[in-house]
Order: sequence, then C-alpha cells, then structure tokens
Amino acid sequence: MASSTAPRMPGETGYVNPRGIPQAPFIEVVEDYVRSRDQVESVLQSFQEMLSKYKYMEMSTLRRAASLREKIPDIQKTLDSVLFLDSKRNSDDSTLSTTFELNDTLYAKANITPTDTVYLWLGANVMLEYPIGEATDLLTSKLNAAKESLKTCQEDLEFLRENITTVEVNTARVYNWDVQQRREEKQAAAVK
Amino acid sequence: MSLQMLPAGQESPDVSVSWEDQQRINGFSKLNSRLSELEDLYQQKKDENEYLEDVGTEIELVDEDDLVQYKIGDAFYWLKQSEVVERLEGESESTVTELNDLEDKIRSIKDEMDELKKVLYEKFGNAINLER
Repeated sequence: MASSTAPRMPGETGYVNPRGIPQAPFIEVVEDYVRSRDQVESVLQSFQEMLSKYKYMEMSTLRRAASLREKIPDIQKTLDSVLFLDSKRNSDDSTLSTTFELNDTLYAKANITPTDTVYLWLGANVMLEYPIGEATDLLTSKLNAAKESLKTCQEDLEFLRENITTVEVNTARVYNWDVQQRREEKQAAAVK
Repeated sequence: MSLQMLPAGQESPDVSVSWEDQQRINGFSKLNSRLSELEDLYQQKKDENEYLEDVGTEIELVDEDDLVQYKIGDAFYWLKQSEVVERLEGESESTVTELNDLEDKIRSIKDEMDELKKVLYEKFGNAINLER
C-alpha cells in the first residue's frame, strides 16, 4: 500500500478506522457494480467473503471486550481494598479484623495491623511490595487503561457492525437486482 | 432488523439506496446495539440498587456499636454498624447517579432511533424491517 495516500474521512471510500479495519464498499447503483447477470454470483461470493472477515474480526473483538469486562471489576476490587486500607491507616483502632477467602469456599479470620505497604500480584509468579500511595496510582492507571481499551473495543465493534450491515444490504440489493433481471428476461422471452 | 431478501419471483420494490440512506441504516443498527447494551447495564444497576435499599433497611435493626462484616474487594471486614451505614449510603448514592445517567442516555438514543425510523420507513416502506 502506498503510504502517500491522504487519510480518508469516515464514510469516504477506502476509509480505514484507527485500528486498521477497512470500510466496506457501498453500492450506490447496482448496475455500476454488476454489469451482467453472470457476474452476480462472483460478486455475491466476494460479499460473502467480506462478511466472514468482518464476522471473524467481530468475534475476536468481542472476546477481547469480554476479557476486559472481567478484568475491570477485578482491578476495581483491588483498588477498593487498597483505598480502604489507606483510609484505616490513621484510625485509632489498631487492628482490623477480617474474614478473608483462603481458598474457594474456605474463609479464615485475620487481623491486619495498620500498614503502609501492600503487595501486588503482577502476574508470572511475581509479587511486589508497594507503598500504598504508589499501589493506588498503579492500580488507577491500570484501571483507566483497561477502561480505555474497552472503549476502543466497543468503537471497533460498532464500526464492524456498521460494515456488516452495509455488506448485508449490498448482498440483498444485488440479489434483488438479479431476481428482477431474471423476471424481465422471462417476460421478454414470453413476449417472443 | 435488515433489508429483506426478496423471495424469488416476488414483486421488487424499486427503491434505490443512497449512501445517506445506508449511513442512516448503519446508524440505526449501531444505536440499536448500543441501546440493548445500556438496557442490560441499567437492569443490572437497578437490581444492585434494590439490594442496597433492602440492606439499608435491614441494617437499621443492628445496634450502632455492633460489628458487621462488610465486603470490600474479596474480603469481609468487621466494621461498626455506623460506619457500614455510611458506606452503604455512599454506594447507594453513586448507584442512583449512575441509574439517572443511564436513563438519560437510553432516552436520547430512543429519540434518535425514532427519528431515523421515521425517515427510513418513509423511504423504504415494507422493504425494511426495523423492529427488534
């Protein structure tokens, strides 16, 4: 692809959205697109191909969105807990009694003394100690990043859906055009 | 919700679709999916709000200095009833704000959809089906 082409606006032919998803072509006049009936089949087939590509992208974006939707409440929960510990840091009751989940369906009691640091699980078997303030910052930025990428996922999904609709409408119109042509041919033959 | 395929041999409504129409159709379908997402979220928040209201009345039965287990994140903390009441009120307040916000969004999307529906039905009549 030539990089010199100017970026196109949404709605223009050849527009590509910020994540590189191309916009589907739109058929203004069917006759411009299919000149004779023999072309109908191949055109319909190319639409079908486009459609399955869009659907595939839709599926993977949906999956990504679903995993983000799971991740966001998790981060939120951790952040809530850290903020709570922070709020208790300067209170007079020295220890905090908790009932915490030791394992699935198994709870144990624990007393927490006021603390200035927490440990965050970073994944890949790594846990790091953070001062509460830094932990809050880190979690907040992670939370915002996750929310942001969920938003782009949703944008992509809407764009994909728009294109799927365009291609579906294209398909219906080419198909209808074909039906119409066939009927006209039949009528013409009957007249003869 | 789509442009209908003609069963072979049926009279074809001879309408041409312009790019503006196509964008209206796309816009409609976009709003439609946005709407169902928001409605799901709304229902979820509404349930949440009901639970909060229920627990709000229940907690009044507990003595102010008694300790209750309050869940933050994945752990339960023993907190004084008075503090729990305070926290519940805060939660309930933010849920109500969110509910109102969602309601506004849903209403404006519905208005927009009605507008599009009018234009599209006028042009395409029976050839288009915009019902859910």
